[in-house]
Amino acid sequence: MTTQKESTTTTAVVVQQSKAAGRLLISGGTVVALILLILFFFLMRPDTFLSFVNVRNILYQISILAIIAGAQTIVMVLGDFDLSVGATSSLAGAVTSVLLLQENGLGVALLAGLAVGLIVGLVNGILIAYLKMSAFVATLATMTSVIGLGYLVTGGTTVFGMPAEFNQLGQGRFLNIPLPVYFAVAISVLIWAGLRFTTVGRRWYAIGGNVEVARLSGVNVRFARLLAFTLAGIISAIGGILLAARLGSAAAEQGGDNTLFSVAAVFLGMTVIRSGAANLVGTMIGVAIIGVMSNGLNILGVNAYVQQVVTGLIIIAAVTLSSLKTRET
Amino acid sequence: MTITEEEPPVVVAAPPALEAVDIVKSFDGVHALKGVRLSVQPGEIHALLGENGAGKSTLIKIVTGLYSPDSGEIRRGGETVEFANVRAAHQAGVVALYQELSIVPTISVAENVLLGEQLPSRAGIVKGRALRRRAGEQLARLQQKIPLRKLAGDLSPVQQTMVAVARALATDARVLILDEPTASLTETEIREVFAVLRALREEGVAIVYVSHRLEEVFELCDRLTIMRNGETIVTKNVADTTIDEVISTMVGRSADSLYPERGTATKDVVLTVEHLNGRRVKDVSFQAYAGEVLGIGGLAGSGRSELLRILAGAQGHKGGTITVGGVPLRRRSAVGRMLDSGVALVPEERRSQGVLLGTSIQDNIALANLGSVSRAGVVSGRQIAQMAKRGMADLQIKARSPKQTVGELSGGNQQKVVLAKMLARRPKVLLMDEPTRGIDVGTKAEIYRLIRELAAQGTAVIAVSSELPELIGMSDRILIMHEGSISGEVAAEGADDEILLSYAYGRSE
Repeated sequence: MTTQKESTTTTAVVVQQSKAAGRLLISGGTVVALILLILFFFLMRPDTFLSFVNVRNILYQISILAIIAGAQTIVMVLGDFDLSVGATSSLAGAVTSVLLLQENGLGVALLAGLAVGLIVGLVNGILIAYLKMSAFVATLATMTSVIGLGYLVTGGTTVFGMPAEFNQLGQGRFLNIPLPVYFAVAISVLIWAGLRFTTVGRRWYAIGGNVEVARLSGVNVRFARLLAFTLAGIISAIGGILLAARLGSAAAEQGGDNTLFSVAAVFLGMTVIRSGAANLVGTMIGVAIIGVMSNGLNILGVNAYVQQVVTGLIIIAAVTLSSLKTRET
Repeated sequence: MTITEEEPPVVVAAPPALEAVDIVKSFDGVHALKGVRLSVQPGEIHALLGENGAGKSTLIKIVTGLYSPDSGEIRRGGETVEFANVRAAHQAGVVALYQELSIVPTISVAENVLLGEQLPSRAGIVKGRALRRRAGEQLARLQQKIPLRKLAGDLSPVQQTMVAVARALATDARVLILDEPTASLTETEIREVFAVLRALREEGVAIVYVSHRLEEVFELCDRLTIMRNGETIVTKNVADTTIDEVISTMVGRSADSLYPERGTATKDVVLTVEHLNGRRVKDVSFQAYAGEVLGIGGLAGSGRSELLRILAGAQGHKGGTITVGGVPLRRRSAVGRMLDSGVALVPEERRSQGVLLGTSIQDNIALANLGSVSRAGVVSGRQIAQMAKRGMADLQIKARSPKQTVGELSGGNQQKVVLAKMLARRPKVLLMDEPTRGIDVGTKAEIYRLIRELAAQGTAVIAVSSELPELIGMSDRILIMHEGSISGEVAAEGADDEILLSYAYGRSE
């Protein structure tokens, strides 16, 4: 990072270089871990793991998580987090599916699903930004209610039998690649650009850096926070709708796993950059680690419960790395 | 720094309850204490006085075991002691009560009084009745009737003070250190506290009393010790001195050549404040003119910072009007709107309020100027870099590049980044809270010059400072605040510290 123009004294250069090397080791750790994982599974299953079909499979499997982790990244840039993203995505998928089963048009059903995300996001935003609740309490509460609403909407069952044109959104392919992969890439690029190149993104990062500094620099902190949670809600809804389309069915808790995995992915991603802030590229590396791990362990025939255990360990490793880095700076 | 020119004011019979001898303490190479002496007798109320930054709180932290001194020794009842931590000091009978009262609001009065003590219990179950009896005894010593089962948080401020004192006594404190104990109390409550302290003096407790309220000191205390710049200047019997003498001793020398020539203020009113009220601000009215540097003085807690924060939109206000450049402002203001109106604040705490430490110089500067470096919500990296380069050149910020992280810069350069951020808004009114705190002398002079240049260009600069020489040196006109109101106005030219301090202590003449 600090390799442009160095100070004149040689000692300073040496110190900086060794510091930079240390940083690389810590910050590169997560990327190195991903490469090692891929290498490991490749060596274990050289014939299948890196085949086109399996790579496509991995991408397909992680596309929904990628979208929801993108939503989580936005709120975590502000230093908050959102426990309701999974529940929101499930409810959005359920509402869309049920409306389709009641023979509403595709457009209406999709808009209703997105509206679910908008509303849950707005409620989160109002509770946290304007009523000053902690993000933990507020999103835990909305998560609980939203899951309940999901059961009400689906009648506690798994609903299925939606029209093919809807399922196509999650199951169709373009150039032999599943459509959700394109959606995930498009949404990720939009979030990345939004965080990086817009005034809103700058404000979000400033709030995450230091709320008081942001406020005293004229940032409308409450509105920025409301906007972040609202966007997270809408993006989660997109993820949930695509999940319902991919599965061809909807249930109240089918996106639930994605909540914790999304937080894990963002945490992993925070270890990738020097400042230790949430960032989209890092999040996607985190998503890839989770995806590769789960796919690879599957191929090796490892029990799904073991996968869950390993994922937890990875989160611990990531957070430890993260805190090491904050201590360093 | 010994003080042996005069006779020791108190006839020393018993060894001092607490003695600090030649205490030296430095932080990061800066001497906070340079050989301080303090001696407190049993049965004495001893005032410890000095301006902010004189070293009082460092000294208190050392004698209560929070810091360890670099050299020098502490004696308790004539014996040299070393306190490894606060608990060790407690056990030796030295207890300090701080401004923010040290009670736990969510537990009962009785539990608070015996907090940190071995509670009466059997098999881990606390015996409630014994607990209340023991706590009640302590409160009775203070002639206090406070319901023992009540939550401490529900008590009035004076009752909370009493509970804190009772707790100190429960640990058998023989030396009680009180830091601004009356700051939040009313006149009658202060009487009550004084009565209790006098009773404790009769019991032989040594009391160190830190306060900015000199009238109280003269009413209550037996002796006083004055500190300045990390040194003890003098210890005297209160009866042998006067408030005015104490003030001039606290102040010491004055200005030098750090400050640029004063300018000529115009008669164009830029800012008009009328009957402004808010937290810690009471009915403040004043005007600021284009081209002038208006200093605001007063003691810590007098409402100076709050006044600036209200003007900057960082804190709400309850009444009154603010008019900038002839335009009255809406009642509910936010920082963004005040910036748009031309009022910018360089806040008091640079690291926690001024800059994003982990972010680059250019992104810090851009943060308050996102509107002018973006189009339709999309920021332009080129414009951000240009703005940063301009600011860095204008203010002579020393850094490798605009992309360098602000946390890596010196305090002075960080302060210049905050200034650059706000100056890019081209403010009509620039508010600065402690503009040179924690900055080396060279950069201080640069900041004073910058302030003067800004004024010359027609900005009204309003600067709060705790340092009197700075206040006099950099300002054209000085307002002094006392307990939320403006207690005096003086021209900086020819002003002296004593006038400023008299106003700051609310002594109108």
